[in-house]
Amino acid sequence: MTKAMLIDVSKCIACRACQVACKAWNDLPAEITVCAGCYDNPTDLSPDTWNRIAFWELERQGGGVDWVFRPVRCMHCTDAPCVRVCPTGALFKDSLGFTAYDESKCNGCGYCVEFCPFDIPRLKEANLWGKGTTTKCTFCQTRVRDGLIPACAKACPTGAITFGDRKDLIAEGTARAEKLKGDGFVDAALYGHDLLGGLGMMYVLTDKPSVFELPEHPTGGLAEVWQPWIQGLGSFAVGATALGLLINWLVARQNIKVEEE
Amino acid sequence: MTGKRDEILMFSTTQRFVHWLHTAAFAVLMVTGLLLYLPWFSRSIATGVGGQATRLMHRIGAIAFMLVPICYLLFDPRGLFAAMKRVFTWGKEDLGWLRAAPAYYFQGDEEAMPPQDKYNTGQKLFYLVVVICMVGFIVTGLIMWVGRGAVARWVFQWSVFLHDLCTIGYAAFFLVHFVLSVMHPLMKGALNGMLFGWMPREYVKHHHAKYYEELQSEQ
Repeated sequence: MTKAMLIDVSKCIACRACQVACKAWNDLPAEITVCAGCYDNPTDLSPDTWNRIAFWELERQGGGVDWVFRPVRCMHCTDAPCVRVCPTGALFKDSLGFTAYDESKCNGCGYCVEFCPFDIPRLKEANLWGKGTTTKCTFCQTRVRDGLIPACAKACPTGAITFGDRKDLIAEGTARAEKLKGDGFVDAALYGHDLLGGLGMMYVLTDKPSVFELPEHPTGGLAEVWQPWIQGLGSFAVGATALGLLINWLVARQNIKVEEE
Repeated sequence: MTGKRDEILMFSTTQRFVHWLHTAAFAVLMVTGLLLYLPWFSRSIATGVGGQATRLMHRIGAIAFMLVPICYLLFDPRGLFAAMKRVFTWGKEDLGWLRAAPAYYFQGDEEAMPPQDKYNTGQKLFYLVVVICMVGFIVTGLIMWVGRGAVARWVFQWSVFLHDLCTIGYAAFFLVHFVLSVMHPLMKGALNGMLFGWMPREYVKHHHAKYYEELQSEQ
């Protein structure tokens, strides 16, 4: 049964309890952060921060301001570009639908960072020598496998983050978006259920995805064509060359024999 | 220029050094690159700490690789420019070579083969692929090494893609180069030329007739 999380931004109060719970459960150290002139703190994900709240202030058309929030973390795509490009198999899809990884297998190439359409994985790396490993939200598999819900969902005081079976959450999210539309949020919609094979992290958004800096049509970019295409071309080119050389070598041998006779 | 045993000097010391430095760097880069690239190896040998060591060796190989054009330019700029000029000059003998090549290589029929320059058309083609791919390797490699995070995502993604394309070009032409120069029963002179610089007069006369004429007219 595929599991998922549904994040209802209309219920999020940006308390950052999920941010703290994530750090606590995953044993991630605190980082010294700086005030960047906004509420975002920290302002970006890092190898030690797998979940953070992003804030946006939006001017309303008739005057006044809307203040909106979104927890930012791995979207656990069903057809995940990071899994496609990972050369070592460190990143993989697990049976419950999560995009999981085995840090001991990571060789630090960083392709997952550069091919993720949501800009999520972060690399612990010394750039000169390339030694390092990647990290990101694990969907709290250590909890879920033991029948618990993820730490962020557990800590959320308003019920903005819910965990459950994917198809139940899609129904729930669709109904909630309809309700919000009726309440005057004309662009409210469920985000992610139909993207990249279905995201494991879905949102109920009160506005267009672009307002929350979410891509309307996320893709794996070159990852879609890169591997199957180039691996095929490589095998063909090298194979054909080797075959040509073998024929040539045999012909040359034959001619030498003819000359000797 | 003739040697003791009726041989002709084909390659300067710098040219030979640069060639073998290129060979050594290529060997390291090709082996470590394939370990990282082919799923069967990248999921067994080049995984975890082994993969990090492989990537480190790839970077050391890359430094040697980048020294190839630098050394050539520093120690023998004239030789470099002369070689480049020959490689980028294409004429009717080259068209003739391309037409005659299938019969020559696959049927052993040498009749239609026009006289060739210091580098025959096939060698020129190889040289061109090497020059283009070398630029490609260095530019995309540096983007992936030191440009990550600083360059746009699509730039990095295209770098990976183009680096792989260059590898295919290099690998295919390397096979041809290796077989024809080291293993091929008819081309014994070429390897000697690159090891010691000298090639037998008869070999040059036969395989690089146009160049031989050029040498004769210079004397």
